[in-house]
Amino acid sequence: MKEFYRNISDALAMLDGMEQDLNIRHFTPNELKVFYTIIIRAAYNEHGSNITDIVENSGMSRSTVYKTLKKLSIEDIIQLNQSEEDGRESLVVLNS
Amino acid sequence: MKNFLTLSVTSFVFSAVLWVLWHFVDTHVLFLAGKGGFFYFPHAARVLCVVYFGFRAIPALYLGELVGPYILDPGIYSFSIFLPSLISVMSVPFALTMLNSLGFTLGQTRASPLNRRNYKHILLITFISAGFNALLVNLYMSRNNLSFSNAITDIEQVYRFFVGDFLGTVFVFIFLAMLLIPVLRQARN
Repeated sequence: MKEFYRNISDALAMLDGMEQDLNIRHFTPNELKVFYTIIIRAAYNEHGSNITDIVENSGMSRSTVYKTLKKLSIEDIIQLNQSEEDGRESLVVLNS
Repeated sequence: MKNFLTLSVTSFVFSAVLWVLWHFVDTHVLFLAGKGGFFYFPHAARVLCVVYFGFRAIPALYLGELVGPYILDPGIYSFSIFLPSLISVMSVPFALTMLNSLGFTLGQTRASPLNRRNYKHILLITFISAGFNALLVNLYMSRNNLSFSNAITDIEQVYRFFVGDFLGTVFVFIFLAMLLIPVLRQARN
């Protein structure tokens, strides 16, 4: 059993490193939902997703999405770029 | 023996639960329905269990792979998945063997070429195993003229398998990291 717990401990250490690097521990469930939506949308569009898409797909209100995007942007997890097609639209891009 | 039983039960339950979660999201979550190929959660069970429990986890993982399509939702696939599931489970040992033969042995210290306490190394294993899974399963399907309903076995499906396994695993890792915050914090203090 000792070996089993040692293996689990190694797995937890791996997850801990990921959590520290992603710096997402202080997110609320709603913010996490927005964050996960951005990750999923990134699989479909490498140039970034527009905010309307994120609002529609996350099921969150526009104000919650905007607040979360601001927080993620301050944390340097995402960046907001101006769309080339529509200057009024911002595209959300995940930072690598 | 007790350790083998414990890791087998853990691997089986983990794999089956991830399959159920994935199937639920793929069929019931509105904007993700039908797009399950792009976030296949059960690959995380293959990677985590083989990396942390060793090759002894393979039998339980294989059973976990079969329980969903054969017991929980029979008929989801129109062909036998005994061999494709085995190939999928074996994709992680293939990746580890390949890395080992290149001199990247799996260990648990900073000095190890592949450190299983470092998530970036685990993501590398995930990346390579997703590639093996995508290529080998689709090769088997292509040679036997098999296909999923509403899909063609082509290069696009290889891409979908690859992206799906990788994204699904990353998703599960982030979810587990969030879920286990209290445990991780306690372990750190």
